[in-house]
Amino acid sequence: MDSLHAIGFYVSAAISVAGGLSVAFLPDRIRPGMALGAVAIGVAGIYLSLSAGFAALVALACYGGCAVLLAGPAYRVVEANIGGIWRQLGAVGAGALLLALAYAAYFGNFGEHSYFGGDFGTAAIGRRLFAHDALATEAVASLVLVALVGAAAAWRARDRSR
Amino acid sequence: MTADLAAVLFVAAALVAVGAFIAAWRRDLTVALAGIPLMFAGAGTAFAGVSRFAAAPAGGAQLLGQEVAVLLSVAALAAVVLGLGLAGREGRR
Repeated sequence: MDSLHAIGFYVSAAISVAGGLSVAFLPDRIRPGMALGAVAIGVAGIYLSLSAGFAALVALACYGGCAVLLAGPAYRVVEANIGGIWRQLGAVGAGALLLALAYAAYFGNFGEHSYFGGDFGTAAIGRRLFAHDALATEAVASLVLVALVGAAAAWRARDRSR
Repeated sequence: MTADLAAVLFVAAALVAVGAFIAAWRRDLTVALAGIPLMFAGAGTAFAGVSRFAAAPAGGAQLLGQEVAVLLSVAALAAVVLGLGLAGREGRR
């Protein structure tokens, strides 16, 4: 990886991690949604610096869509009925997860190759998605369909009960 | 300046841990849903990094990680849509 891509990678990583921490600590709904938009931009930058241009476009659209949905004022506030000790335990668990993953990343014995994708890769990814791994694509499409139908059904049932 | 596979995996670990932290820390469950895209983004970053640095340089195997990153992005959006649908909409009483 040359210096330009490395700088882009580190800047994008800083944007995405800082955006994630902002989602955790900013109040209200709109500001965490905007922070999630920053995460989307950062993750897209990471993918782009890793020579995954098509994945960057899809990530920008999907994670940006998540940010728009979460920042919208149309959804109800659902407060979790759990005490502070469980939240603190969850935070400690997240820290332990970070330590475990960082340990695996640092001490893992990975064989490295200097592959450079070069071009944008849309056609190659498309061939893999719709020809070589069409079954996985169909599975994710089914998941999306079930999620949309389930969301619509839950929405209608809740409106009917009011 | 350069970035290797360990750096990519560190960033992926940070994203996954921050996502888990958001899911555990936020009281508002609709905002806690934002932890799901972050965890999926971390996993996708690890896949894309392995695809970039450690995939076997033969055939189309290098693109498998990018492909999984694409599928993870779509799955994260589907999970957030379903969660917000279950949470319900404000108003229209």
